[in-house]
Amino acid sequence: MESTIIKAVNYNAYFGDNQVVKEVSMDIARNSVVAVMGPSGCGKTTFLRGINRMHELVPSAHANGKIWLNNEDIMEMHPIVVRLKIGMVFQRPNPFPNLSIHDNVLAGYKLNGIKLSKSERERIVEESLVKVALWKEVKDSLMKKGTFLSGGQQQRLCIARAVAMQPEVLLFDEPTSALDPISTAMVEELFKELKKNYTLIIVTHNMQQAARVSDKTAFFYMGELVEYDDTKLMFTNPTDQRTQNYITGRFS
Amino acid sequence: MAQIEVEIQHLKEEVVNMGYLVKAQLQKSKTALTNFDKNLAREIVIKEKRVNGYELKIDRDCENILALRTPVAVDLRFILAVLKINNNLERIGDIAEGIAKYIIHTETKFTPQLLQRSKVLQMLEVGITILEDGLASFEHENTILARSIFLRDEFLDEVNFQAIGFTKAYMAENPSEIDETLYILSIIRKLERVGDQVKNIAEEIIFYIEAKVLKHNKDLLP
Amino acid sequence: MRWLTILLTLLCILPLIFILIYIIKAGISAIDWNFITNIPKPVGETGGGVANALLGTVIIIAVATIIAVPIGILTGIYLSENKKGKIAAWAGICVDILQGVPSIVIGIVAYFWIVRPMGGFSALSGSISLAIMMLPIIIRSTEETLKLLPDSLKEAAYALGMPTHKVIMKVIIPCGFSGIISGVMLSVARVAGETAPLLFTAFGNPFIETNLLKPMQSLPLLIFNYATSSYKDWQNLAWGASLVLLVFVLALNLLTKLMTRKWKVQL
Repeated sequence: MESTIIKAVNYNAYFGDNQVVKEVSMDIARNSVVAVMGPSGCGKTTFLRGINRMHELVPSAHANGKIWLNNEDIMEMHPIVVRLKIGMVFQRPNPFPNLSIHDNVLAGYKLNGIKLSKSERERIVEESLVKVALWKEVKDSLMKKGTFLSGGQQQRLCIARAVAMQPEVLLFDEPTSALDPISTAMVEELFKELKKNYTLIIVTHNMQQAARVSDKTAFFYMGELVEYDDTKLMFTNPTDQRTQNYITGRFS
Repeated sequence: MAQIEVEIQHLKEEVVNMGYLVKAQLQKSKTALTNFDKNLAREIVIKEKRVNGYELKIDRDCENILALRTPVAVDLRFILAVLKINNNLERIGDIAEGIAKYIIHTETKFTPQLLQRSKVLQMLEVGITILEDGLASFEHENTILARSIFLRDEFLDEVNFQAIGFTKAYMAENPSEIDETLYILSIIRKLERVGDQVKNIAEEIIFYIEAKVLKHNKDLLP
Repeated sequence: MRWLTILLTLLCILPLIFILIYIIKAGISAIDWNFITNIPKPVGETGGGVANALLGTVIIIAVATIIAVPIGILTGIYLSENKKGKIAAWAGICVDILQGVPSIVIGIVAYFWIVRPMGGFSALSGSISLAIMMLPIIIRSTEETLKLLPDSLKEAAYALGMPTHKVIMKVIIPCGFSGIISGVMLSVARVAGETAPLLFTAFGNPFIETNLLKPMQSLPLLIFNYATSSYKDWQNLAWGASLVLLVFVLALNLLTKLMTRKWKVQL
């Protein structure tokens, strides 16, 4: 199996005439954790959403350039297939409020009309919740509505929901910025585990988080990919002055 | 200016101030040695407290910046370098104090002949100069100046290398000055260490500015 | 200051209480088994009832709901999904204008568009005019409910690989269900008592009628005609019908509240 799972080549993204991502090329290795950081408005979230083709859902949004998933051009694939292989977790935990915890985990199957046998359903629910360290906490209240959990638990539920679809890649859009420090730490612990089976791409505002969890870090500034390197190098001796200015807080 | 920039600037100033204080101590010790001035030597011993005070303050400031500002990249390298430079300067201060203490405790003056043939005053002069250059290269982030220190330190190494030979010969010729000669031998040893400390300072400066580690790696030296 | 607000509040509640008491007193005596099962008898005969009006009201409103609900909900969904489009903007303006059109004008328009071409009065034309009145309420409440749902819900659904129509059918509508349902029920409560549009469309019928293409009786029409007649029997029937209508509308409002609470989704 090749070691590069996602490859972007000269990817550009626009909202109408406004170019938000400029000529971004990067290779992401299988089973690695890549952090994407940069100041507000630098294009990191837009780029992330380009990977699972959520970007094109916004009216007037368009993009060009190539992104490959396992050597397949994602623009040639059906967007739904892309999103089944590349899951996403958002900034604000968003479990479906009208579904129970159990149904939330299976939402990708149920709401898409995919039929599963009872034993398969139970297995998927348990496995997914175990993977996000939530099983013990909720196994006796699986029928409660998803919104009655705490913020950190809700976010882990959303990760379980994404993981249940057995994707290859998981995208995280500032996943802990709405969580308290303890929940944040729990989610960061999860990344270490999840990395064994999935490839993680995490957009974060929090530089220390990028430093803590990722193998490689990408720094975006004004739509460009300024630097993309091993995290250790990035934080001890970055190559680009802009990267250095950002991580040392010379501008936010 | 970001808060961390202000604090790093302040830290730099403190290190430079400590460095000039230590340089003054060395200069005074040279004068005291030349003129056998016990009063000046006592001044040096008193001033050593200030040097120690600086060391404690700089250590504390570094700790605060590490805890509160989570410095990375060049800022982090700077703090790590300052911690070591702080140490180096304090040791040089100790050496100056040590020389002063000898002067206070000897009964007989060191003869000009002893001072001249032992080259101890020249060593002091070279030590003071390279320390000055070290401080300048730290203040102005000048790695070329820092690199020039390595060569000039060799003079100190040479004199130290020949010290035993010189001591034996001089003691044979001047048996009345055996005590003083032995003191001078100790001072030569101490001054060679001054050279080492300044070399370490130069290595740390190059590390924080260029992210190159020259420690224990003779091949990278110019 | 406080006594002023209390006083004015009582001033609002009192008329309602008086109306209720009066109508209950006047109408309760008219309601018996004959009232519910018989059609109005000729003057002088006893035992008349309002069965035809009761049935007619139910049929006309049911058909109106069947017409208005799909159109209304789908329009509401369209407006909430396309907040910035030109069609959406114009449609929104039209809905607002429609809400303000007097009911009698709607009746007249229905008369010219439907009754005339059909060659006669019919329950269907009555249902259509009531449906037109129900539309703005259903559309606006659907739109507002869906607008309140956070975008993150839709995003979560899309990210799980759901196509747009499923996102709407399986996530948006279920989450907004209580708001939509309450909109529908409020619109029914609104038109249950409308008389003016039915004057020119359903027209009224002294007999029980189930054919939508024929004129049909309904409670408001009956009240209108019988209350102003000079026959005591008929006036009694009118009071009874008023009470029934009132109870119906009150019950509908209560039911709406209960259903909203039951279906309410904690966001």
